[in-house]
Amino acid sequence: MSKEIVVEHVTRVEGHGGIEVTVEGQKVKDIKMNVFEGPRFFESFIEGVKYDKVPDVMRRICAICTAAHSLASIRTIEKAFKVEVTPQTTLLRDLLIHGEMVESHALHVFMLALPDYLGYPDAISMVDKYAKEVKAALQLKKAGNMIHITLSGREVHGMNERVGGFSTIPKEEDLLTIKKAMEASKATAELAVNLFSSLDIPNSAYSDNTLMALDPGNKFGYIGDYVLISNGERRRVEEYKQLTNEKVVKHSHAKHSSYKGSPFMVGALPRVLLCKDKLYGTTKELFNEHEDKLDPKNSLNNNLAQAIELVHCVDRCIEDIDKLLSSGLEKEELAEIELRESSAVGAVEAPRGILYHNYSFDESGCITKANVITPTALNWANIEKDFRVAAERLLAERKENLEAPLELIARAYDPCISCSVHLVKVKFL
Amino acid sequence: MAKPKIGVYSLTGCAGDQLMILNLEDELLSLLGNVEIVAFQEASSVQKDEEVDIALVEGSVSTKTDLKRLEEIRKKSKLLIAIGDCAIGGCVQAMRNQEMTMIEKMRKVYGKEEDYFKVLEPYGLSKYVNVDLELPGCPIEKTEIRQVFLSLLHGDLPEIKDYPVCVECKLNEYQCLLVDKGMPCLGPITVAGCDARCPSLGIDCVGCRGPIKDETNAAEELHTLKEKGYDERYIENRLRFFGANFEGIAKLSKMLREKTGGKGGK
Repeated sequence: MSKEIVVEHVTRVEGHGGIEVTVEGQKVKDIKMNVFEGPRFFESFIEGVKYDKVPDVMRRICAICTAAHSLASIRTIEKAFKVEVTPQTTLLRDLLIHGEMVESHALHVFMLALPDYLGYPDAISMVDKYAKEVKAALQLKKAGNMIHITLSGREVHGMNERVGGFSTIPKEEDLLTIKKAMEASKATAELAVNLFSSLDIPNSAYSDNTLMALDPGNKFGYIGDYVLISNGERRRVEEYKQLTNEKVVKHSHAKHSSYKGSPFMVGALPRVLLCKDKLYGTTKELFNEHEDKLDPKNSLNNNLAQAIELVHCVDRCIEDIDKLLSSGLEKEELAEIELRESSAVGAVEAPRGILYHNYSFDESGCITKANVITPTALNWANIEKDFRVAAERLLAERKENLEAPLELIARAYDPCISCSVHLVKVKFL
Repeated sequence: MAKPKIGVYSLTGCAGDQLMILNLEDELLSLLGNVEIVAFQEASSVQKDEEVDIALVEGSVSTKTDLKRLEEIRKKSKLLIAIGDCAIGGCVQAMRNQEMTMIEKMRKVYGKEEDYFKVLEPYGLSKYVNVDLELPGCPIEKTEIRQVFLSLLHGDLPEIKDYPVCVECKLNEYQCLLVDKGMPCLGPITVAGCDARCPSLGIDCVGCRGPIKDETNAAEELHTLKEKGYDERYIENRLRFFGANFEGIAKLSKMLREKTGGKGGK
């Protein structure tokens, strides 16, 4: 006898999706990830647009990772036209991507993921019992957003980071205000680590995970030109098509990414595990203390990894601001651009994992071809693998309710469905 | 008095307008404490299928599923408010409306023409249902959504601006990027309410709050930018980012396409 388990609408994620698992006896017969979000075809409508406004359009793929999209887009354009930027620009971009990580992780860890573990439908209803914690989480989120506002112009879809630099250099007093907010919120980031390291994390999805993350260089971070893989390989981002192998598979309606025949995982857990030697300061201490709770075979540990990254990001924002203030902020013109026919691949780590942009330009600097692969698209096959493992394990344990545990797994990946530009080959039922 | 029931719903878009509500970090708890949330997919697992006093809907209608959901939402809500550009004019995903068919878009992105999604050409809500209020922006402004909550709690409808970004630029005494610096600024035809944020940073307005309804002189904007040395295709793309579904821009665009355009660069 077969039955269907349906999570109609996965809540507390960005965008809409549903999960449909068909079970026959003790076996999972079919898994469908339904995406209700319509496709938006960014890669088609961006064709013919001149490079200067490309990041302004492409960042609108996603609201919560808006700066990641904008920086990936800018990076791709700068690589295509061989643009060199100043050390100040590099530092400001580092601050921006760390600030976005604070905002996004604070939202996910405290407001989207935590309510499950404490038995609430949302963070707002937690207020009666956990008013102090919820308010502190909002302040941490706000500190991240202050970076969006000061460096990018606003919280969502900013505009101040441009191809070649920043249009307006932030004021020193605004950076000082952010530094104070980060210092005041560091305890909240550490609280996230304490909370998630003390929770009882289900291990129903326990299975092998191949991990991938960008190599940030010597120090932990989110921008790089090489991909680290848990099998020990290090590959150029230009090889992204071989690293992702998107294809349609028979048993599923979602497009699958795989590497050497296996699905793989991107996001906070892969980052802290593949780059653990690049962590430093308090983050390194916390990582060492909790390394045993960061088993790569349990994707739900991504929540704790995000909490650990929160501490890193808060510290790094303070560090970047100190560097900027000690060298003094200087007004700089945007770098000159020499247009030519060319193409390039640029990647950054979005909060939920590696994000690739790939553009080709004609000699006048207009896009002739664009391709974007988002972290949620990369994770989709792995989420499905986890579902299969977890559903069969839970069925074997004669568990009645499968919906909640499966939703918990999906949510741990912090999926951003609206941003999954083209992860899907979906059939609506 | 019973708290008003509010539903926050999302169709096809980036979910950024819901996120802007969550970005009201300082006021969020007190604002949401004064209403009863019946649905807010990005923030809560609560999803009651019941009537609401106010529905806030973000996203464009881009699939038949979107349309069906919108019709259901309209039926069960007393007031329906479109929040953000997607819900008003379709936003960036509508950029190639009338210019490229959905089949062409699918072929370019998926390599096939099979319609997995039952796609529709992206439009805002008012093409299909009666909308009580439209709150512009990509994304909406925090100050404006806060005002919407406050006005509605007092039983009023908030006022939406109907003048261009240029007015706010002048009030702030910013240098005119279009006239003085020759930058391709869309301030003259774009709805105000952002306090001229981009010009304040030295960046020409990209038009992200959408054109002013019924009062957009797209032909004059085109003429001015051409005089500044931009080619027609470049200007047309600019106008279409956030305005392809607006009558004045759609008409102008059609006229331009009937001639031969430039390559898109300055």
